[in-house]
Amino acid sequence: MKYECKSMKILIIDDESELRELYKKLLELQSYQVFCSANGVDGILLNEQKNPDLILLDMHMPEMSGIETLRNIRKTDDSVIVVILTGYACPDTIRDAVDLNVSEYLGKPFANRDLLSVIDKAFGSCIEDGNNG
Amino acid sequence: MAEIRRLIYVPILHAQEDPRESTSLNKIKDMAKGGGGNDATAVEAMWEGIAAKIEALNLPWESVRIYQDGAPVCGNELELAMRLANSGSPNFAFILDLIEKGARLEGTEEMDLLIKEYDLLSQLLMKNPGAERKAASVEYQAKSRELLAVRDEFIFNRITDTLNKGEVALVFMGVMHRLDKLLEKDFLVSYVIYRLPFRSVGSIYNA
Repeated sequence: MKYECKSMKILIIDDESELRELYKKLLELQSYQVFCSANGVDGILLNEQKNPDLILLDMHMPEMSGIETLRNIRKTDDSVIVVILTGYACPDTIRDAVDLNVSEYLGKPFANRDLLSVIDKAFGSCIEDGNNG
Repeated sequence: MAEIRRLIYVPILHAQEDPRESTSLNKIKDMAKGGGGNDATAVEAMWEGIAAKIEALNLPWESVRIYQDGAPVCGNELELAMRLANSGSPNFAFILDLIEKGARLEGTEEMDLLIKEYDLLSQLLMKNPGAERKAASVEYQAKSRELLAVRDEFIFNRITDTLNKGEVALVFMGVMHRLDKLLEKDFLVSYVIYRLPFRSVGSIYNA
């Protein structure tokens, strides 16, 4: 069964406004509903309000890091698909990502098609998981 | 003044079908989790991304030593790598590419420790699926974590003993290893990460 893009909601949490806008345009062209947040605190609130299917989460943000943001999100939402984006990756963050049930870990810079492919795969495997009970 | 040795650390995930070890360890791990959810395509994409990033580093290949998760010190490391690459492992196919450029593959892990890990998983699988296996899984995870620490200590010593001055270590290691913590003390460590498709592959102790 193929999911319907138009019904899928994606939340972008990234402090870099140019990247946020770039991802937003790219995803809207694919008919996803897109919401944006510039920091972790707003992202947590927006996740509760909009109940997205997937979160694109930047790791390195001022005030609240991506991992800290995700820890808070997971307190109330253990099902949202999370794709982590980062320019500087380290194994500690990766181990945290495994513990917090992250779907994919994508290192910047990446091509637009890579991001779309990762999202497509993330939704695809989510549906497979559901089908497998 | 002592020269700081350079090391490039590449966290990886293994596909179920990736026969990186002489045993079918990955398949057993997947079965232990309940099976399914694997995606070889995602892992291939991971390796393509890693290969592009490593290519961009322009390493002096004649001076590069490769250390690989699950590759035992056995005296026939190259033969084993060729066999695994021929069996369809993208991990070892990439390593063979690097060997062709001049890099050298070092035996990395102690065979006895790999066998212990295999035995732990086998014991887990002997339990009936369901509650009995779930309970045994907790014990397995704890023992496996302890074993992983011992494996990391061995790998750390192996790298320290075999990497010569002026050489670069290229280390491919499962994401749940904590080898990086040991290495950071003595090596100048940089990390190469492209993508890690956790959900597609499924994460078990050292996925």
